[in-house]
Amino acid sequence: MGAYMSEKKYTKDHEWVSIENEIATIGISNHAQESLGDIVFIELPSVGNSVKAKDEICVVESVKAASDIYAPIDGEIIEVNNNLENDAAIINQDAENEGWIFKMKISDSNQYSELMSEDEYKQFLEQ
Amino acid sequence: MPFAGFNMPINYKTGIINEHKNVRNHSGIFDVSHMGQILIENNESYLHKLEKYIPLQLKKLTKNRSHYSFLLNKDGGVIDDLIISNIDIKDKSYLYIVYNASRKKEDEEIFISCAPNAEKIYEKNCLFAIQGPDSINVLKNIIDIPNNMNFFDILISKHDKNEIIVSRSGYTGEDGFELSIPNESAENLINLLLKNENTMLCGLGSRDSLRLEAGLSLYGHELNEKITPIEAGLSWALDKERLEDENLNGNKVLSDQLKNKLSNKKIGLISTSKSMLRDGMTLFDNNNNEIGKITSGCFSPNLNKSIAIGYIISEFNTDNPIFCEIRKKLELVKINNLPFVKKNYKKNGSIYE
Repeated sequence: MGAYMSEKKYTKDHEWVSIENEIATIGISNHAQESLGDIVFIELPSVGNSVKAKDEICVVESVKAASDIYAPIDGEIIEVNNNLENDAAIINQDAENEGWIFKMKISDSNQYSELMSEDEYKQFLEQ
Repeated sequence: MPFAGFNMPINYKTGIINEHKNVRNHSGIFDVSHMGQILIENNESYLHKLEKYIPLQLKKLTKNRSHYSFLLNKDGGVIDDLIISNIDIKDKSYLYIVYNASRKKEDEEIFISCAPNAEKIYEKNCLFAIQGPDSINVLKNIIDIPNNMNFFDILISKHDKNEIIVSRSGYTGEDGFELSIPNESAENLINLLLKNENTMLCGLGSRDSLRLEAGLSLYGHELNEKITPIEAGLSWALDKERLEDENLNGNKVLSDQLKNKLSNKKIGLISTSKSMLRDGMTLFDNNNNEIGKITSGCFSPNLNKSIAIGYIISEFNTDNPIFCEIRKKLELVKINNLPFVKKNYKKNGSIYE
């Protein structure tokens, strides 16, 4: 199977997920960064940890509040965005690209298909 | 965000940190119309009744000056903190009091019981604060401000043919002004102020981080009905003669507290990691004993670290390390004298120091 970049999907906890070759990249949605306001610190997850969907795995701190970030699907954390360590505000500038938070090797791609599409997420936000 | 029954912006377009820095470096405008504003006739019988709650000699307040004070309950606890000023409006002498939105009900019950014809002017007047070192230059293009106006001076000026109450005050640690202006002229005045390209509208978020850096107390956090002004480190705001006066609520408790050691003390804290210190977090000594709690915490844009105010037990020796429980982990925090950022008031404005 060749390399492919999947459609970006969203969780109810305002994370986005995209998949390339069974590696999922995860961050928080642009909507989430807007409501959090200035992000000043992120406690990144530990590489090598195996996590289950809905596990709290890291924390984003903004000037307003601390928010937990959940694993959107089961898998193993294989990489974190170390740039955020020095400058968590990258998430405010570009939440859904440069502001990615961690990558996982996923174990169950069905979990991914169950997440919301961009349109479904937009509808979810309007509710 | 709902705040004391009002829908208030936490921040405007550019965010809390940018608004905060703009106030420290230039100026920023806060709509604080949610706060209570009341006029009480300067009448001896009213003042006597109010002196039961307010620890000042109300009959001796200097004209055109403001004072930081409190309403006290029977135990000397703080019902509210407020700014009280002596001003003449249309040749009549008044006490003009500005108080917290969240305490309107409690405060007004007292004000009306002491002075039945007290006038709640917030129903027809907006209240704006312009804060920061450039405030004077932004404001004096639009309204008359005498050159010799000091911090905590207050006077009546004019805008748009309307009388407005102008006080040199605020709650950010910076020089600045508060303007009480009839609703119908408010928008016009704000738009004129905003023509200055270095000023901007600021929300509740930066108001909180600015006051915290300045070490100023906030009702519901550092102050409540179970804490006296002395326990909150605000004994400088009490008129010491009034503590001998039986007519003052809690006078015995307060004079005893002045003479004896308190059980708790207020402290400033700085985070040693990047984690945020927040209201309600618990403080421990190095033997895991609980020694206190944080009452306000935020990110300090000036120090680029999290800062907090809290209370710890007085017997704790502050040379020893203090730990704060952040998400079930204990993190070292450092004591820092209040304020975190030096205040920048215009002359004689040492009233908060």
